[in-house]
Amino acid sequence: MQKTRTHKARATGFYSAFILAMVGLILISAVYSVSIGQVQIPFRQAMNILLHALSGGHLGSIEQIDNGSYLNIIMQVRMPRVIFALLIGLGLSLCGTVMQAVVQNPLADPYILGISSGASLGATFAILIGFGSGTIFSQFGVASAAFVGAMITSLGVLFLSSIGGKATSVKLVLSGVVVGAMCGSFSSLIIYFANDAEGIKTVTFWSMGSLGSSSWQKVPIMAIVVLLGCLIFLFQHRILNAMLLGDESAITLGINLSVYRKLYMVATALVTGTMVAYAGMIGFVGLIIPHITRGMFGADHKKLMPATLLLGALFLIWADILSRTLVHNVELPIGIITSVIGSPLFIYMIVKKGYNFGG
Amino acid sequence: MELTATGMEVRIGRKDIVHGVSVRVKDKQFVGLIGPNGCGKSTLLKSIYKSLVPKSGSVMLDDLNILKSSEKKVSQKMGVVGQFNEMHFDLTVEQMVMLGRTPHKKMLEADRPKDHEIVEEALRITNLTDYKERSYLSLSGGEKQRVVLARTIAQQPEFMILDEPTNHLDIRYQIEILSCVKNLGIGVLAALHDLEMAAHYCDYLYAVKNGVVYAHGTPEEVLTPENIEAIYEVRCATYRNPITGSLGFAYSL
Repeated sequence: MQKTRTHKARATGFYSAFILAMVGLILISAVYSVSIGQVQIPFRQAMNILLHALSGGHLGSIEQIDNGSYLNIIMQVRMPRVIFALLIGLGLSLCGTVMQAVVQNPLADPYILGISSGASLGATFAILIGFGSGTIFSQFGVASAAFVGAMITSLGVLFLSSIGGKATSVKLVLSGVVVGAMCGSFSSLIIYFANDAEGIKTVTFWSMGSLGSSSWQKVPIMAIVVLLGCLIFLFQHRILNAMLLGDESAITLGINLSVYRKLYMVATALVTGTMVAYAGMIGFVGLIIPHITRGMFGADHKKLMPATLLLGALFLIWADILSRTLVHNVELPIGIITSVIGSPLFIYMIVKKGYNFGG
Repeated sequence: MELTATGMEVRIGRKDIVHGVSVRVKDKQFVGLIGPNGCGKSTLLKSIYKSLVPKSGSVMLDDLNILKSSEKKVSQKMGVVGQFNEMHFDLTVEQMVMLGRTPHKKMLEADRPKDHEIVEEALRITNLTDYKERSYLSLSGGEKQRVVLARTIAQQPEFMILDEPTNHLDIRYQIEILSCVKNLGIGVLAALHDLEMAAHYCDYLYAVKNGVVYAHGTPEEVLTPENIEAIYEVRCATYRNPITGSLGFAYSL
């Protein structure tokens, strides 16, 4: 009895320490992230600029800054980008965790419901065909087209899986695969007939994910959608936990899963759609981050969710740092970085004993 | 708490599985549902605990209309121990049992000391106190079923439905589970496949065949050689077990 209690106390202590460490690391990494790039800004000066800006001039001093342009570089170019990385890290790990619970399958990721292929189709369409000039659609950019594509596919998947009664997790996954394949083939068709090498390159580049388009104008929408999503799901741990038990048991605990499954899917589709629209596809984050934290703290969403969100944000900030620094003067697509880091990590988890992916 | 299900008709796909079955469980009674595989026992139970929507019929738990009430409201009064309890993600035994408190929780309500006491008590009743920190998926079938029972007890139901809770379990686990439920002293409706267990634990039995009630009454009235031969299509002789004094059965084809 005494033993289990101390064991439990230690586990709780470890958890709190982990959360604090994550918050600390995210702050330090954010400062580091704004200090590096083509113009190297010393860490201390970057921190002073940030403190000064965030506190409205009360803290930090910008008098010893070597170069007046530092302030502009940090505040106008690099800050929105770090915020984007942070938000997308939060969003991807959030949607990954929720999707894995919704379809009760450890292989799920935010894109499982065909969102990625729908968004790709939208983006491909916008880049290679466009909406013609003069129509109101010509106002739409690639981002909007991708968002619309993502929404249409996820609603299509939702509709398809609820034909003939309850939307079970198997039906959801299969519908996602089918709709994904359909969108994929349409994208290929457009690319096949497009006589536009530059456009095709743009499509490819878009599909590899990039934070290059981040700007202050886009931050509010992104922040509202992602943070609202996080806030909502941080308080859904009871229902998420009940989801792991499956429909049959959840109903006996008073939770009608087919209703919540639809609600959660619409919510994650909105978050994922927004992220995909602004930053393209960034793979592996939503799949692997929940597994890492689940290996550390178990599948109870009350603990899992905060840990996953923070680790996801930290992971993406570092993926962004690497994408800008690995090759001198070249910015690699962030999707490549996340997959390159993600796959070996995943292999390590498969090889390492003690975590069996729930299987 | 008295449960009355009347005129239950359930159709799955194009097949009528249950044709107009009525069952009644009086206050604190342990009522058994017996019958061969595929006779509609599980389907009937599922339509009673709202997992399936019956074509017609009504279910009342005292004055609560089960079929017209929300899942949450029903789950505060009625607990269910089912047949299949597999999942793809792992929780500790304690977390699993804590899920039993879900029906009594509001959206943003935290677990209170009272909830932990209830969980401790449920673990004690099911002899799982030492298993608290164990992972659910690492347990054996019998232990998993005990955890599910503990979860249902933590739900503090006033009525319990058991759907073949002792399937695939060794004899010790069968006795543990059924005695534990019997000792709760609440109304129980249980589908059982072992006739000796049914005879021993049930106050009243409904025998189901092809979706209709073939016979009902006390175990002595229902479990006659003639009835068993008709329901299960085996030859059967009954006897008094000389040691336990309860009903015993000998079967042959």
